[in-house]
Amino acid sequence: MASEPHRRLAWLSSRRLAWLWAAILVGCTLLLAWQLRDGLPSDTRLTALLPEDRQAPLIERASAQLGQPFENRFVVLLAADDLPKASAALAERLSQLPDLARLDWRDVDLADADPGETLGDYRYRLLTPALKAAIDADGGATLVEPALERLFSPLGSPQPIRDPFGLLARWLNVQDDARIEAWQGLLTVRDGAGTRRALLVGQLAGSPYALPTQQALVAQLAAFERAHPKAELLQSGLIFHAAAGARQARSEISTIGLGAFAGLIVILLTVFRSPRTLVALLLPLIGGLLFALPLTLALFGRLHLLTLAFGASLIGVAIDYALHLQSDRAIRGASFRLRPLLPGLALGLASSLAAYLAQALTPLPGLRQMAIFAALGLIGAWLCVVLWLPRLRLPAHPATARLAERLWRATTPRQRLSPWVALIGVALMLAIVAGRLEFDDSLRLLNPSSPQRLAEERQVQTLLGSDTGSHYLLVRADDEAALLERLAALGDALDARIDAGLAIGYDNLAERVPPPAEQQANLARVRRLYGEPLATLVERAGLPPQTLTRARATLDDVPVLRVADWLAMPAGERDRRLWLGRVDAAGGEQAGMLAATLLLTGVDAPDEVAALQQLAVGDDAVSYVDRVARLSALLGELRRHIAGWVVAALAGLMLVLAWRYRRRAWRVAAPALGALLGVLTLFAIAGIPLNLFSQLGMLLVLGIGLDAGIFSAEHGRHPATWLAITLSTLTSVLAFGLLAFSATPALHNLGLTCLIGLTLVWLLVPWVRSPDMTTRQENA
Amino acid sequence: MRVLSLLLLLWSVPALAFELEDLQARLAATPDIAGRFEQTRYLADLDTELVSRGRFRYERATRVIWILETPVDKRLVFTPQDATHLDGTGKDRRRQQAAELLLSLLDGDWRALEQRFQITLAGDAKAWRVDLVPRQQAVRQRLDSIQLAGGRYLQTLRLRAANDDTLNVTFSDQRPLDADRPQDGESADGE
Repeated sequence: MASEPHRRLAWLSSRRLAWLWAAILVGCTLLLAWQLRDGLPSDTRLTALLPEDRQAPLIERASAQLGQPFENRFVVLLAADDLPKASAALAERLSQLPDLARLDWRDVDLADADPGETLGDYRYRLLTPALKAAIDADGGATLVEPALERLFSPLGSPQPIRDPFGLLARWLNVQDDARIEAWQGLLTVRDGAGTRRALLVGQLAGSPYALPTQQALVAQLAAFERAHPKAELLQSGLIFHAAAGARQARSEISTIGLGAFAGLIVILLTVFRSPRTLVALLLPLIGGLLFALPLTLALFGRLHLLTLAFGASLIGVAIDYALHLQSDRAIRGASFRLRPLLPGLALGLASSLAAYLAQALTPLPGLRQMAIFAALGLIGAWLCVVLWLPRLRLPAHPATARLAERLWRATTPRQRLSPWVALIGVALMLAIVAGRLEFDDSLRLLNPSSPQRLAEERQVQTLLGSDTGSHYLLVRADDEAALLERLAALGDALDARIDAGLAIGYDNLAERVPPPAEQQANLARVRRLYGEPLATLVERAGLPPQTLTRARATLDDVPVLRVADWLAMPAGERDRRLWLGRVDAAGGEQAGMLAATLLLTGVDAPDEVAALQQLAVGDDAVSYVDRVARLSALLGELRRHIAGWVVAALAGLMLVLAWRYRRRAWRVAAPALGALLGVLTLFAIAGIPLNLFSQLGMLLVLGIGLDAGIFSAEHGRHPATWLAITLSTLTSVLAFGLLAFSATPALHNLGLTCLIGLTLVWLLVPWVRSPDMTTRQENA
Repeated sequence: MRVLSLLLLLWSVPALAFELEDLQARLAATPDIAGRFEQTRYLADLDTELVSRGRFRYERATRVIWILETPVDKRLVFTPQDATHLDGTGKDRRRQQAAELLLSLLDGDWRALEQRFQITLAGDAKAWRVDLVPRQQAVRQRLDSIQLAGGRYLQTLRLRAANDDTLNVTFSDQRPLDADRPQDGESADGE
């Protein structure tokens, strides 16, 4: 009698909870509607997955600064029969882009900033190596002839007082090593075969990841190619990669995502034969999405497209809980009760959450977002299953029970697996894994760009002689003079190595802003040049004698060119990315020091890297940075971190399992662990290296495999359980396994691991069921 | 701007319109020319004039050979493609552009010039004058205007820089070169 009010109370509270949960979901829906008022704030940046380099903030800053100019800029090279006309047509189209700050394509577009004006005062302190050598040799007598030519050539624009020898023009020419030439009013580059291409450089006002800008650019280029079928376009710039990545992600969401969804519906209809059941089963999925989407958006501000693709599939796991409940109910009919199922469902959720929340602890912002999205989705779906599904009246088709019976008979092993065979198999697999498994931490995994696009990018970079700044020397010193001295010395050391055959180039600030001592020496040289040679020039050209005195007077009070002056000039704008200025005291850096980068270009061979590393050896003030290698190392570190977390999560879960299942705990863990070992063995045999994303896939296999193991142990020898496990692995294979067909390397690796691992889980469960187990619900 | 220059062009050309195309065709009728020049450069800063004289040889759309005789002996070759720098180190973009401009002016290649200059034509086939004003602000900071005048041949070229320096070139003794004579500049120098 006493149990009656108690049950009523429980009944009431569970009912109240169901309503409360409904109210929460309504709130979430309203929040989501408000968040989506201007469309989904999405992000397609794959580098958002990368962690910040916390150990070396200065290197992080240097790398970001070097890469920045390439993020907001795009370059199009055009080859066509009538180049001026085609270029004008293309420029016309590109200038219609919504987010374009400026477009340079005519030769005069680059003339806007005349460096001669701002640099005029400093010219007597800036000399090219050739001029220095000429003056050091004989005082500069050989420079008189070219100066005469400048005076009398119809093309010259001589300045007999300010610069009779044209020192500044020559200095500027040496700095201007770009391969761009003016041709018929266009900016052009020529390749080795002599093909001339027009150059169009666009500067974006906004982010290259903004979808409207990407779409407008791609549309304009496509329209141009339709109108000029013979024209050949080469593209370079982050926006093209971002656009291609976004297009690929979208098309994969629609093909793989829809494929998985369609498969899911077909399977569920086949098993349960009822559209109402189907809707009830999909209810947790919708509930999970409605719970996860607005909360993730609120937490992160914007949603990564990869989160959507991956996270939406993750929520597919959520359908497992509904499947277990519904399979049990379809077979038990009126005798169905939720209570006996609850421990299994709760443990299943806990093991999955443990697996995903391990990801949330990684420093990868993108992964953290995915993990939190998935965890929230799972919680939402689980609550829907537990609070709502038992209250819905659903028809139980007799076909479901028949199917479960047939499946049970067909897949139950006829004999038992000998423990010795199993142990020998495990030992053998462990040996293979230990001996042959390889690892891959290359950045290629994060790069969704096709090889063609990357080749095109390289071609453009080569034609322009530019570089995205992936190798550089980071140089520090106490003050500006010392820093410039150090940079100049490194430049000399590099010159010596280049003369000896090292095939690289470099970009050194100290070439534009020589160290103060060098500037002083240059002024002394110019004073020498303005002695006898200037007098000869004035006399031979027939210039008035006052020229001499007035020209010499310009050498009084010549200002020293300082880094800040140079960087403030339009001509120095390009060098701003090389200057880091004052260093903060963090990550082992000494506060108050000045730092700059010396950019190395064309570094593509290991022996070149070794030669460059030598430059920094034994010098605390200079470090050699290889951005790609550095990021790869970070990825590797991350991979090991995740492995550590998985082992820790596993150890924790084993404790919980041992507490509940005692000596049967190994049966719970065996499908998941066996599947992981199987995946590793197959990878080792096939020579597929293990990477971060396959390891994330293993995390999923672990979560789903443990679910299967738990349900199998809870309600072991029961056809309904086996049907639910089968359905859940099948739907998960649909959700993740299909990602193996993705062209995005990250998703492909994850999908492949899930495809193999989940199949193995399903194959293993029947072999580790306890043979004489009485089901728990009969005890309960 | 283009419409404006077209209007100006129509305005300045009365009844029997002598147009830029006609002028270009007329100049193109004699492909290669040899003759003498006198160049006066006025340097505003020094308020002084530098006068030089010599011979020239012009091969249409290819190159100009400029042989200075006074006050210094010098032989200069201008082509748009390989304008190497004075001391042979690297390219000189501005010099290359200047060489390209000079050839376009001598060729009367208005289509190429149109992109960068507002062009107005005055006079008739016997005595014409063409004025060019840079369209781009950046160019106007250096170059104020260019004026060409002539009849059968181009006779004067006047260039006014933004800093009030001027360049004045007068061509004389101009005669066409036979097409079958050797095109090599060196042999032409010997005459």
